[in-house]
Amino acid sequence: MLRVLVVGAGTMGGVHARAYKSLHGVELAGIVDPRVEKAEALAVNSSAKVFSGFDEAAAKLKNLDVIDICLPTHLHKEYVLKSVQLTKNIICEKPLARSLEEAREMIEVCGKKSVRLFVAHVVRFFPEYKRIRSLLDKGKIGSPAVVRTTRGGAFPKAWENWYGDPSKSGGLILDLLLHDFDFLRSCFGEVKRVFAKTLKREEASKEMIDYALVTLRFQSGVIAHLEGTWAHQNFSYGIEIAGRDGIIEYDSKKISPLSYQPRNKKSGAGGVKVPESPLASSPYREELKHFIECIISGKEPLVTVLDAYRAMEIAMAAIISTENGLPVTLGGHSEKGG
Amino acid sequence: MKLGIISFAHGHAYSYAKIIKKQKGLELAGIYDDDAARGLGAARHFKTTFYRHLPQLLQSTIDAVIVTSENAKHAEHVIAAARAKKSILCEKPIATTLKDAKEMIFCCEENNVSLKIAFPVRYNTPVKRARAIVKSGGLGRILAVKGTNRGTNPGGWFLKKELSGGGAAMDHTVHVVDLLRWFMGAEIKGVYAEIGNLLINEAIDDSGIVTMDFDNGAFATLDFSWSRNNNYPTWGDVTLEIIGTGGTLSVNAFDQKLELYSDTDGISWNFWGDDMNTAMLLDFTNAIKKGQKPAITGHDGLKALEAALCAYESAERGVPVTPRIFQIDWVK
Ligand SMILES: NC(=O)c1ccc[n+]([C@@H]2O[C@H](COP(=O)([O-])OP(=O)(O)OC[C@H]3O[C@@H](n4cnc5c(N)ncnc54)[C@H](O)[C@@H]3O)[C@@H](O)[C@H]2O)c1
Repeated sequence: MLRVLVVGAGTMGGVHARAYKSLHGVELAGIVDPRVEKAEALAVNSSAKVFSGFDEAAAKLKNLDVIDICLPTHLHKEYVLKSVQLTKNIICEKPLARSLEEAREMIEVCGKKSVRLFVAHVVRFFPEYKRIRSLLDKGKIGSPAVVRTTRGGAFPKAWENWYGDPSKSGGLILDLLLHDFDFLRSCFGEVKRVFAKTLKREEASKEMIDYALVTLRFQSGVIAHLEGTWAHQNFSYGIEIAGRDGIIEYDSKKISPLSYQPRNKKSGAGGVKVPESPLASSPYREELKHFIECIISGKEPLVTVLDAYRAMEIAMAAIISTENGLPVTLGGHSEKGG
Repeated sequence: MKLGIISFAHGHAYSYAKIIKKQKGLELAGIYDDDAARGLGAARHFKTTFYRHLPQLLQSTIDAVIVTSENAKHAEHVIAAARAKKSILCEKPIATTLKDAKEMIFCCEENNVSLKIAFPVRYNTPVKRARAIVKSGGLGRILAVKGTNRGTNPGGWFLKKELSGGGAAMDHTVHVVDLLRWFMGAEIKGVYAEIGNLLINEAIDDSGIVTMDFDNGAFATLDFSWSRNNNYPTWGDVTLEIIGTGGTLSVNAFDQKLELYSDTDGISWNFWGDDMNTAMLLDFTNAIKKGQKPAITGHDGLKALEAALCAYESAERGVPVTPRIFQIDWVK
């Protein structure tokens, strides 16, 4: 049994805790959150102990195999560095950190202490995205040329509105578009140049929305356009890849395997329509299952900490571009560079 | 009203000719084409006169001409028509250089001839409705726009820079730039573009993304790639996703369609919405009858061309560029 401590019982903490409860060979040993009621709700139907602070959990829980950091981004570094003292395996939500300096320090410390660090880039585990990669690998659309992605919905609601504070979340580009930076890099290799536009800060915070359009030029010549939005109502995501011999198109809005709409008999009005795309195992569960397997076998994960860092580099370049209005060229590092 | 068509180089000439033939009160009175075989063929097909020399067409009793020659020949043909005092509908882009575009505009002004540029998407009904929502304040202030005008490699002279002025960026930047200016009443102040030659074997730009800053504070991007492949259900698109302080709006000009699954023709999208070309052409002829200024002017054509040229310059220099037209005192 691998004993796991989940730190942070918000949205992602909930997703992760539920996944651990359903995974074989994993024991959800504890959940930390100062909002104890949140942690308690997640602990039901498990032997997990609930703590209001990390230090208390550290003192009381022994033999932790995995610590899983599901905290707001600006707290990742602090808690990864604390965790290094207690475990040999850390899973951390994406983005790895709020800044590249923080990320470098985390990677360095984990390296020194021989602690394995896994970063939860879950899009790699979405079946539709996995299928896209395999279609590309099989050459179904020839050499890729122009890629378009979209991701987003409403402004995220979270603990103390930390998403609304770019100094904590990194804003839409680091938090949301990171998913696509990572996925596109996994398909098309290193990025050469980034150009990006986003809403003015005053505008974004006044309206409680955000929006960004980013253009990437890959070293291979591929051109990608990314839309990130916290200005719409419903969450959706999509990707389109046009190659020399074909197009792959995916739009989550158009995928409707199940849509449930109960009739509201009293008011006569229709109930809320709830669309679902059910899978036997969610991408989040698949991701954590993969990390657990890698921990047991010692194998390299599908998405490495270096991948997580490179995706952050693209995000940071995009943020700089939005600030200075210029294209930002990424350092031509080798595959293994640091 | 009698109309002449100058050149069938551009496929739209056939669409316009068909529309003219169908409309009561409009007559296709003659065709000139520097490719005599092509011109004769079209004249035979549309049962009208073919003129071997442009002055012959321009001296005939026509009221107006449609210029659908290769982009680089627009200037020569528009200037000749203006001197002959014929009203003009000129296919987009207005020209391939700003110098040509300015000369065309001057010449039409000097001869008191109306020059309209063919941006038919302004007459697409969903697009018109979208603009009405924007103009009524339905979106508050516009902050950002994501546009696409993707298409299929048109082949032929479009791939010869000396005739087309450029590939996909020249072909497919101007429509959406015109819509953005028309929607926002704002001008472009900065252009950045990534341009590629990634899809076709000919050495001409076929793909790219242009990012634009407007003087109202909004930014916009546009995908102008010829990225629709043969088996895609349609040839291309025009879409806008608009983000405003008061909401979002997405418009897809050609989404009024059926999905057709045919054993003989394969899979295709079959458009049933209003025909924007007919609406554009009728607005052109009605404005002439009433002596009104055209709804889309040479200046509109020039501003759209300028954006496309800025995109090329930006891609070449690797930096955002500022349109310079207002810095040059070109309006007399
Ligand atoms: N992979 C994905 O798809 C995905 C989706 C959403 C968020 N995320 C990432 O997950 C992370 C968490 O985001 P979220 O949306 O779950 O945030 P959230 O605000 O919903 O949850 C954060 C939780 O941490 C708790 N917390 C705060 N300080 C704490 C501390 N010192 N110790 C323990 N708990 C503490 C808060 O009470 C809250 O319950 C972020 O890095 C975010 O970027 C990833």
